[in-house]
Amino acid sequence: MSSIALSAGENAKTIRSARRLDRRRMLFWVVPPVAWFTVFMLIPYAMLLYTSLGRVEDMRFIPGLSLRNFIQVFTVDPYLSVIIKSARIGLMTAVLSAIVAYPLSFFLAFHVRSSRLKFLIYLLVIVPWWASYLVKAYAWKTILGSGGILNALLQKAGLTDEPVRIFLYNEFSVVVTLTYIFTPFAVLSIYAQLERIPTSLIEAARNLGAGGWMIFWRIIAPISVPGVVAGGIITFSLAFGDFVAPVLVGGPDSVMISNIVINLLGVAFDWPMAAAIGLVIITLGLLLISASGWLEEKTQIRF
Amino acid sequence: MEWAPGRIRNALAATVMGAAMLGATAVRAEGQLTMLVWEGYADKSFVEPFEKETGCKVDAVYVGSNDEIVSKVMSGGGTADLISPSNDTTMRLITAGAVSPVDTSKVPNMAEYLPQFQSPAWLKKDDAIYGVPFGWGIVRVIANPDVVDASTDTLGFLWDKKYAGKFAVWDDIETVYMAARYLGFKNTYSLSDEQLEQVKAKLIEMKPNIRKYWFTTGEMGNLMASGEVAGGNSWESTLVELRAAGKKVVDLKPKEGRGGWSDSWMIVKGAEDNPCVYPWLNYVASAKTQALAHAVNGFGYPNPKMVEHLEGTAKANYAELGMSDPSTLQNVDWWQPVERRAKYLEIWNQVKAASN
Repeated sequence: MSSIALSAGENAKTIRSARRLDRRRMLFWVVPPVAWFTVFMLIPYAMLLYTSLGRVEDMRFIPGLSLRNFIQVFTVDPYLSVIIKSARIGLMTAVLSAIVAYPLSFFLAFHVRSSRLKFLIYLLVIVPWWASYLVKAYAWKTILGSGGILNALLQKAGLTDEPVRIFLYNEFSVVVTLTYIFTPFAVLSIYAQLERIPTSLIEAARNLGAGGWMIFWRIIAPISVPGVVAGGIITFSLAFGDFVAPVLVGGPDSVMISNIVINLLGVAFDWPMAAAIGLVIITLGLLLISASGWLEEKTQIRF
Repeated sequence: MEWAPGRIRNALAATVMGAAMLGATAVRAEGQLTMLVWEGYADKSFVEPFEKETGCKVDAVYVGSNDEIVSKVMSGGGTADLISPSNDTTMRLITAGAVSPVDTSKVPNMAEYLPQFQSPAWLKKDDAIYGVPFGWGIVRVIANPDVVDASTDTLGFLWDKKYAGKFAVWDDIETVYMAARYLGFKNTYSLSDEQLEQVKAKLIEMKPNIRKYWFTTGEMGNLMASGEVAGGNSWESTLVELRAAGKKVVDLKPKEGRGGWSDSWMIVKGAEDNPCVYPWLNYVASAKTQALAHAVNGFGYPNPKMVEHLEGTAKANYAELGMSDPSTLQNVDWWQPVERRAKYLEIWNQVKAASN
């Protein structure tokens, strides 16, 4: 009896030590991501929260537990209105990017047969990213300006005598620039989704007598929704938080929320207020991502 | 070089310049100067001759804003011997007791200074002078004479409805100050809420005439050169640039006055006994050093004799800007600390966010 008990105990011990070994190995894999997450995510967010609850007095940070800054984000002009304006610019950018990206992705996924050509087009979409964002935003100045390429063409074509000044330094030029810059993200995400559609599905539809439009509306479009949503989230977020385009090509009323945050950090030295705006935006972002996650889940079609 | 002027000068410039620390890391304690300065204020073109001459090693840390200087000096710990804050910050440091008065008898070169910089209000407290002025400039009001009458003597033209979309002004609270000056407020730097509301309304009224709020002086130069705008406010460098490019531009002298900035070398409390401090202060007050500094950044300098050390176009430009002429300095509304800067900025952001 005692020997049995002993062997059972020994057995348990080996299992336990095996588990411990397993756990140790797991630790090896788990620690780096957890450490990364802690150092680069949790601690910064905690610091942001800590800063947002304090205030600045005579250039010195006074810790506190006040919600005053958060109340100000919603009550003091112009913070909320600028957040809404940034969201509007982000939304326009997301929609325009999707409109530009969809036909291209569609063409790439279904009409380009040669894989070499496919690769070439794919490369052409990505290549602009090898150039700095700043250079590309600057390029739009030379395209849209009074003495720019667009105006030169219009005048040459005899459509106008005077340079058209409404192309640059307004919300239009900001949205155009942002759309140009962020469209590759929409292309990649929509294309990835369209690529997943098995050709057998389309062939089956065709065998059953469906026409081109019907195949598109009944099969391709519904399946591509998650790609459009994912691309939209990326382009929206990037455009929403942008601060370079409004400075370079924006007009007198194109200030966006990131510009305000930078101003608060640099000129006003009001870090708590800047942190509060940051947290409000992060919260809105989380809500948006949750909503889109839910939407993606709802619209995802599994085969 | 393109300057993003003012308080955000090179926001990322936290570069530590171990000035010519050849080999010897163990530095003689008596021959070391640590400074928190703007980029260019410890350029090797004039630091190296000083080091050779005096045996003092210069260790300069570049700062991106006045706030950075204040927070570093206030937190104490002997972070620096010398600092070079602007006139909207100097009095804050003096009042806080963070800096020591300058014994001007040990800075004989200061006697050559323009009278306005001998004992300026922003450095003076109880008959003591707390700094040695260095780079300075006036926020110019400029215009294309083909569009705006060159004899204009008031800021009012900026609001004239016939100039829709024709101007660009600095994206900075200096533009708030400018509107306050136009409204005739004498307390530009301590406006009341009611005055700020009036300033805001005035700036929103100007918006139809604004094509762009510029961010760097180079940008303003491009806007003017390309004919995108016909006027606004800017720094001297824009005038120099435009004239060099052969563009027509006038430097208007509005009767309401113009904003002026001026940086000063100040001694951090406790550093006055450092034997290298006064040799440096007298060195940077000399005409020759200031000419070298002008070559680095094109700023104005308080020693008028520095013009003799300038050459060719630099000399001509400096004269054309009237920077060595005391009369240029007569109607200048020198920057001062703004206690409610956050409020000013809020007003400015509201103006920018307002729809046209």
